[in-house]
Amino acid sequence: MTRAPSRLTSAVLAAWALVAVAADAATLRVFPPAVHLSTARDRQSLVAQLIETDGLTRDATGAMTVTVDDAAKVRLDGRALVPLADGDTAVTVSVGDQKVSVTVHVERAGQSPDLSFRLDVMPVFMRHGCNAGSCHGSARGKDGFRLSLFGFDPEADYHRLTREQPGRRVNLALPAESLLLTKATNAVPHTGGARLKAGDDAYATLERWLAAGATNDPGPTPAVVAVELHPRGAVLDGPGATQQFTVLATYADGTDRGVTSLAVFLSSNDAAAKVDPSGLVTAGMRGEAFVMARFATHTVGAAVISLPKGLAYDWSPPADAGRIDRLVDAKLQTLRIVPSESCTDEEFLRRASLDICGVLPTSDEYRSFLASPDPKKRAHLVDQLLARPEFVDLWVMKWSELLMIRTVPNQVSYKAMLLYYGWLQDRIQANTPIDALVRELVAATGGTFSAPATNYFQHERNTLKTAENVAQVFMGMRIQCAQCHNHPFDRWTMDDYYGFANFFAQIGRKQGEDPRETVVFNSGGGDVKHPVGGRVVPPTFLGGESPDLAGRDRREVLAAWLASPANPHFGRNLVNIVWAHFFGRGIVDPVDDVRVSNPPVNEPLLDSLARGFVESGYDFKKLVREICTSRAYQRSTRPNATNAEDERNFSRAQLRRIRAEVLLDVMTDATGTQNKFKGLPLVARAVQIADGTTSTYFLTTFGRATRATACSCEVKMEPNLSQALHLLNGDTVQQKIRQGGVVQRLLEAGRTPEQVIEELYLRTLTRKPTEKETAGLMEIVGTDPAARTPAALRETLEDGFGAILNSREFVFNH
Amino acid sequence: MPVCSGGVDRRSFLSVGTIGGLGLSLGDYFRMQSARSDPAAGHPGKHATAQSVISIFLPGGVAQQETFDPKPLAPVEYRGPLGSIETALPGVRFGEALPHTAKIADKLAICRSMTHGEAAHERGTHNMFTGYKPSPAIEYPSFGAVISHDFGPRDNLPAYVCIPTVPNEFAGSGYLSSAYSGFSLGADPVDGKFKVRDLTLPEGIDPARFDKRRRMLDVVNSHFREREKSDSLDALDTFYQRAYGLISSQKAQEAFDLKQEPDALKKEYGRNQAGMRMLLARRLVESGVRFVTLTYGGWDHHDKIEKGIKSQTPAFDQAFATLIRDLDRRGLLGSTLVCVTTEFGRTPKINPTAGRDHWPKVFSIVMAGGGIKSGIVHGSSNATAAEPEDDPLTVEDWATTVYDRLGIDARKKLVAPGPRPIEIVDGGKVVEQLIT
Repeated sequence: MTRAPSRLTSAVLAAWALVAVAADAATLRVFPPAVHLSTARDRQSLVAQLIETDGLTRDATGAMTVTVDDAAKVRLDGRALVPLADGDTAVTVSVGDQKVSVTVHVERAGQSPDLSFRLDVMPVFMRHGCNAGSCHGSARGKDGFRLSLFGFDPEADYHRLTREQPGRRVNLALPAESLLLTKATNAVPHTGGARLKAGDDAYATLERWLAAGATNDPGPTPAVVAVELHPRGAVLDGPGATQQFTVLATYADGTDRGVTSLAVFLSSNDAAAKVDPSGLVTAGMRGEAFVMARFATHTVGAAVISLPKGLAYDWSPPADAGRIDRLVDAKLQTLRIVPSESCTDEEFLRRASLDICGVLPTSDEYRSFLASPDPKKRAHLVDQLLARPEFVDLWVMKWSELLMIRTVPNQVSYKAMLLYYGWLQDRIQANTPIDALVRELVAATGGTFSAPATNYFQHERNTLKTAENVAQVFMGMRIQCAQCHNHPFDRWTMDDYYGFANFFAQIGRKQGEDPRETVVFNSGGGDVKHPVGGRVVPPTFLGGESPDLAGRDRREVLAAWLASPANPHFGRNLVNIVWAHFFGRGIVDPVDDVRVSNPPVNEPLLDSLARGFVESGYDFKKLVREICTSRAYQRSTRPNATNAEDERNFSRAQLRRIRAEVLLDVMTDATGTQNKFKGLPLVARAVQIADGTTSTYFLTTFGRATRATACSCEVKMEPNLSQALHLLNGDTVQQKIRQGGVVQRLLEAGRTPEQVIEELYLRTLTRKPTEKETAGLMEIVGTDPAARTPAALRETLEDGFGAILNSREFVFNH
Repeated sequence: MPVCSGGVDRRSFLSVGTIGGLGLSLGDYFRMQSARSDPAAGHPGKHATAQSVISIFLPGGVAQQETFDPKPLAPVEYRGPLGSIETALPGVRFGEALPHTAKIADKLAICRSMTHGEAAHERGTHNMFTGYKPSPAIEYPSFGAVISHDFGPRDNLPAYVCIPTVPNEFAGSGYLSSAYSGFSLGADPVDGKFKVRDLTLPEGIDPARFDKRRRMLDVVNSHFREREKSDSLDALDTFYQRAYGLISSQKAQEAFDLKQEPDALKKEYGRNQAGMRMLLARRLVESGVRFVTLTYGGWDHHDKIEKGIKSQTPAFDQAFATLIRDLDRRGLLGSTLVCVTTEFGRTPKINPTAGRDHWPKVFSIVMAGGGIKSGIVHGSSNATAAEPEDDPLTVEDWATTVYDRLGIDARKKLVAPGPRPIEIVDGGKVVEQLIT
């Protein structure tokens, strides 16, 4: 071992970042950038990639010529380097007139240590699926033989292989007769079929280990500390284009090892890019895929983009773009997508009013906005909307969902819930920096009446669930899986889980003076125990350190870390939640499912927004302003030939159904009516309902969150039959139209039917009806004034109003 | 990721066609799917024995010992406080709380070896509604949604109806479009004034006026339709089409109208939640609904199981026995598959609070009709109802059998977003002993 353990960066780097280095000529890259070979058994294959000037990448692995500087140190076997003698040398890789030199370090070339059970044999079980949950990794094993799920318990696996049924699974006298081999090759019938072929590398590994006595490791083996996947991305030109990938693992003792033949490869989108067990990626239809390699407990990935072959593309982003647009456009350029044009002023007015304030513009606001010649009127509109109280209401509602504000029988009384809601409202109203709010919440102690933030620990009293909620809401991570086993597609282990949960182990609760009040305090004692062996894992930040807690309230320490720049996920998660509100999908989506295998569609964008947000002191309004004034937000929903299939890179606006509360509010406004919600005055809006358990048929049917869980999936946007029936036949639309009397008043004011139709369009769809629409509706209304009574006219126009409120254009934000 | 059951090469690849391969956009794909779900196109496969399914789910996890798998010979702490009775099947005993069901046991297939490993309510429920273990990465569609996807509406009636409401979050459409989600009544049939919400024209609105409203809506929609294209828009369109179909069809309206059932029959079912829900379920499958799911009661008897069973079971017992008899009398039992399922079973031993806790290792479910053998006991649990003894019945095998009876090959792949083909059921087998 000589290699200094470098801080390895995650290989999760977007492929299109490669564009930045595209220069005048194609650039050759060779992976790994340096080779370390230790022991005679070590091999390292080289992979080469050409980055063309247009940003496309080509696999140069097959085309490369490798020459060894010092042939006494290493030799070439195919494209693998094989050690010969200790020392340093270099190899030169050339493709065409491009040359790259790779340093090679060889040590212990004379030694050939025995195979290790943990380092060599265990990876075979993972790679070939033997210890997967559907096979022997199942908690009860399969067909009588059990392995630990994804190999979390090698000692037990060794025992079961060699000692559970002596002589059956391993046969030391005749290794090739071991059931371990004969089952794996299906020579003896195996439910799982043939997983190995006699003579392949994995088979040879098992056979050698058996022949050497099937020994256990004499002591602890170095853990895998990092895994890298090279190259870091690819932009492939046409179906069938390929790129070879290679996987490198680094161990705690500083050694590294090529593990391409031991890693499990997966693609998030086989249709766009398939990956075979050798790490060869083949492009398919146009699209993006995240190619992942899993080895030990690590999963790493690389973004692969498949483009149609020889796709012509000629679009340059505008030079005066702001930060958001620069980063969004850079991705679009790599994908060769031209974004949609800007939306109209009418569309912007409706979209921004709904998104920022949950309201529709009045017809007067419509007229003055359209008439304004100010070139900066869109930015000014955003500022005006940000200053309105409805903006606060909307975000108090969003936060109420995250904080699960609701009454819970015998746990959170109506009074406590109201105080909790009021606490939140005060802070959002005062534009309190979000980090301060979260610190106050997570560290809250005191009575649920006198210190209402403590209700956060009342609606959920289970320690583990509380920890899961905090991770999901404030870091966007679902750590639930790690409660029972190491997460197969993410980094979290059971130790991480119980270490994090232990911050919440010392929450004390006692009855307050008022029987409805509970006092939450720091009990100063107790721990959460790891279910394997009942160990106590010291409180540890997720992905961070174990802080010194002597004499301190654990939650205070956690809160200080959680809502600080030391926790990179905090800022990223918040900006992602805000982004998703305005675009209908997050940069990571869903917003609360951040994991290695669900990477952001635009990492530089998320990173830059998060940094900016933290540097601004968590200035929420500033973030909203930046998003809403970007070109990306102001795009039209109408696709062009290049972006019709794109729904995730913000190349056009997406149609978004208006959420339940806002839909009811804007219907109420448009019809000039009011609603009565439990505990609220008549003027109150649905957005202002404090209690998650208060609802109406309309709100429930259109998917209002019950706030029973922290999941972002609580707010449902899917249409269903009941919604259609309710808008057509139910008591909301027609009753409101009749009660509000809007049509009646307009007719009484002397408006013609055509003028009434125009006014109805303006107050609902924020546009004037087209001539065709007016004509079509007037045909039903009847154009001959003599042929209709005033009552019939009113009735028909009210039916037209109902039709507008039922229309797709009304229920969607576009 | 390799799978245990042999991999794709060994099995016939029955993909409905990945989107990518056909070069379709998701929007086209969705339209194609809705075209497939056209009433005319919707018909069960050739060898289908069942035309429809009534799924009765008992939330909380009903104790097998007190219902379909009593252990009269076990020590009292295992046997529990309740006795057992003879049934129409010689040598087969039920819990004493099921006298009516005992009399029709010869119409049932009693599965006493159902097993899965999920001891938490939501995980057990997930298994029984989707046929899959919960996954953090994929939301699976429920039986009703898959059936709705494959068959589509019939006679203007939704393919999948939930009585009285969608019972839980796993009864949804999962990765399939929400177009396939269940239609919930929004009212309980036991309510004297029961009327499916918003199904009939409001007072004072005649069909002519309703038609005028519809024409106006067409005018307003056409502009947007020409300009915009999106899956969510299409889905909403589908529901408006269905809503119009439902509102304008007399026959469809009548399917939901319990008033048309004679009082004597209502009495036979029992004028309670269980009875009226099951009666409406029968009316719905008779009229063309493919999959009706209904829940009854709360069976999470951690404490005082005797009291719990005695209060919950009689209504269920009467209603369920009547449902089977009623279907049989009408000649519908042969084409209607009825399932009584639950989240999991309960612990072999009575606990210190005189109840039983969660026990997923073995429990009982019951099936009847629709091409399932009648008068059989499938599988068994051991002497204390702690482990399956013979023929363990996995969720996958049970689900595959249910789909098979409807003529759906459960190995077929549906397309989840990605696009990602996923089997309807992963690795199940049709249980030959259960089918006719």
